Amino acid sequence: MQALRNLLLKTADDALILGHRNSEWTGLGPILEEDIAFSSMAQDKIGHALALYTILHDQLGEPEPDHLAFRRPEKEFYCCHMVELPIGEYDFTTIRHFLFDHAELLRYDLFSNSAYGPLSALARKIKGELKYHVLHADSWVMRLSRGTDESYNRLQSALNNTYSLALGMFEIPDNEQELINDKIFSGENKLKSLWEEKVGDLAKKAGLEIPVVENKMAGFGGRKGHHTEFLHGILEEMTQVFKLEEKVEW
Amino acid sequence: MKTKTPIIDPRIKRLDIERSLSYNHVNQMEEWGTYEVFHQKKRGEQHVHAGVVHAPDPEMALVFAKEQFGRRLKCANIWVVRTSDVYSLGYENEDMFETTSEKMYREAGGYKLRDKINQFKKDHKLQNAGS
Amino acid sequence: MYGGGYIFSDPTQKEIDDHNDDPLLLEAFEAKINEGEKVEPQDWMPYEYRRQLIRLIEQHANSEIMGALPEGAWITRAPGFKRKLALIAKVQDEVGHAQLLYNAAETLGKSREEMITDLLNSKSKYSNVFNYPAKTWADVTVIGFLIDAAAIINQVANSKGSYGPYCRALERICYEESFHIKQGYDAFVALALGSFSQQEMLQEALNRWWQPIMHFFGPSDTLSVHGEKLMKWKVKMASNDHMRQQFLDSYVPKIWEVGLTLPDPLLKKNLETGIWEYTEPDWEEFYKVINGDGPCNAERIATRKFAEEHGSWVRQALMNPRQQFSIPLA
Repeated sequence: MQALRNLLLKTADDALILGHRNSEWTGLGPILEEDIAFSSMAQDKIGHALALYTILHDQLGEPEPDHLAFRRPEKEFYCCHMVELPIGEYDFTTIRHFLFDHAELLRYDLFSNSAYGPLSALARKIKGELKYHVLHADSWVMRLSRGTDESYNRLQSALNNTYSLALGMFEIPDNEQELINDKIFSGENKLKSLWEEKVGDLAKKAGLEIPVVENKMAGFGGRKGHHTEFLHGILEEMTQVFKLEEKVEW
Repeated sequence: MKTKTPIIDPRIKRLDIERSLSYNHVNQMEEWGTYEVFHQKKRGEQHVHAGVVHAPDPEMALVFAKEQFGRRLKCANIWVVRTSDVYSLGYENEDMFETTSEKMYREAGGYKLRDKINQFKKDHKLQNAGS
Repeated sequence: MYGGGYIFSDPTQKEIDDHNDDPLLLEAFEAKINEGEKVEPQDWMPYEYRRQLIRLIEQHANSEIMGALPEGAWITRAPGFKRKLALIAKVQDEVGHAQLLYNAAETLGKSREEMITDLLNSKSKYSNVFNYPAKTWADVTVIGFLIDAAAIINQVANSKGSYGPYCRALERICYEESFHIKQGYDAFVALALGSFSQQEMLQEALNRWWQPIMHFFGPSDTLSVHGEKLMKWKVKMASNDHMRQQFLDSYVPKIWEVGLTLPDPLLKKNLETGIWEYTEPDWEEFYKVINGDGPCNAERIATRKFAEEHGSWVRQALMNPRQQFSIPLA
């Protein structure tokens, strides 16, 4: 079923690409303790992608997870634009982590009630990991926004620059209604409204202002295979070794 | 400072390393104070001292300790305590813990009743109960 | 992972004159170590013991944090989920080891900020091996297998030392390293038993790394009075040559059995003496690199500076002006 395949792929691709981006901080974090914590979450994300590709392979007849992740053409990736951007500074990294991980937690909350068994089972399995991810994100957002003028300004401006991109997470695919009818997933609009409420509340507590977004479709395209220039670069790296020789074990 | 070989770390190509070359000092306390971490392997066991994390406050200490001390070891629960809030008896007082043999009255092994009872049973030709 | 070839410095005459340890306390201290008891942070200890331990643990911690860089560069490029997840976890553990070791050093009174500052200014050292580039994926497998193997030999020896906090940190580190070496070995063997071009890539990497690996444990010890004292105090636990022999004994057969060669025609085990014979590595090169003139010293330090600089606003935002340094307890 195309809609289900697409749902699993885009969720996996988001996690795969953001996991790779976040893993770039391993060894370069702002302080050792944070380096370790952030690296764990990058591993979790790549692990979530693997779990979803495994469902695609085992249940839906797609190729092996390694093939899906490292040998698929760029146009067949369905990640959103926000996860493609380079890590930048810790302000952008933190805000992206905050915006993405709240959406991810809520998405898996909805998945845990999915009529599609493998998906609801996965959602239950990774619940604890996601809980830690948002605890971590919230802890940093709260503290940096109440820290120095510099840290507050940095967070606010990162939020201003990232928020419209974050809306790209909720781009509605063509055949979504099938998923809603089959009770596989309640739909991107439902998820988006839950997310807006949650993120809005937390931002308010942190004293941050959610920016007014004029072009609500600015971050769209990823779900249809149209990407920023940055995806190309990271995919090149991800496939660099694999491409040296196909059909061998690495 | 010039690097002799072309930079080979793709992450580094994305970073503005040149700008950082003059950065050579981390201020005192910029890495915050320390918290002692106690971790409990599973319910029912004691919390045991596992190490230390640097953190700005107790909640962040927990966030950090969870990964630094809970990621590789089985873990049910974690406590953190600010280092300066722990009171300890110095090692110079270690001799206070030495117990002398006169304190056998507080050891289980200091009570040897069985010999006495066996003697009593032998004297009165009693059979062992249940045998 | 850790780097060997610790540089223990001899104290200056002034340091000796300024720090005459109380002979009675010194005698009690040495008796305690002799009985196999551990020294704890709050104990009295000779000035020179503290100084050398800080140096030792600090170099070890620096090596972990710098050791995260060459392999860290390959995280995004690691081929496939299995290798990638193992590599991230391994590099993360190295950062975790640095965290444990800096804490152990802090119990001796030097703050982490001071240690990082000394690292950025090249006032303190880290293992030479991390000043060499990881050019291909095969280099990553050589590091993961052989450098980690060498590190374990060193760390197991050091974990029997006399300083409690260092031993405790090493105990946990050794436990984690056993996974590192397994994943390194696995990736190494995959190439060794792989296609012709994979084997070739691995052989080239092995040739590149052989000298740094032979350098790893440092030059032969000249047993000075000073060195003997460090042995007696259980700061230094095994001679460099002893550890190098142990390494060759365990790992050369593992390299040979998968059809690889080593770039040293003299390398062989003398069956009569049981001792490995080899071409003496170029020690001038070793000192050149440790003094800052290796292929990647500049890039490594620059990268560390980048990380510290870009983290500084984050750290400062969460600073509490009233907080003061208190030495961690254990």
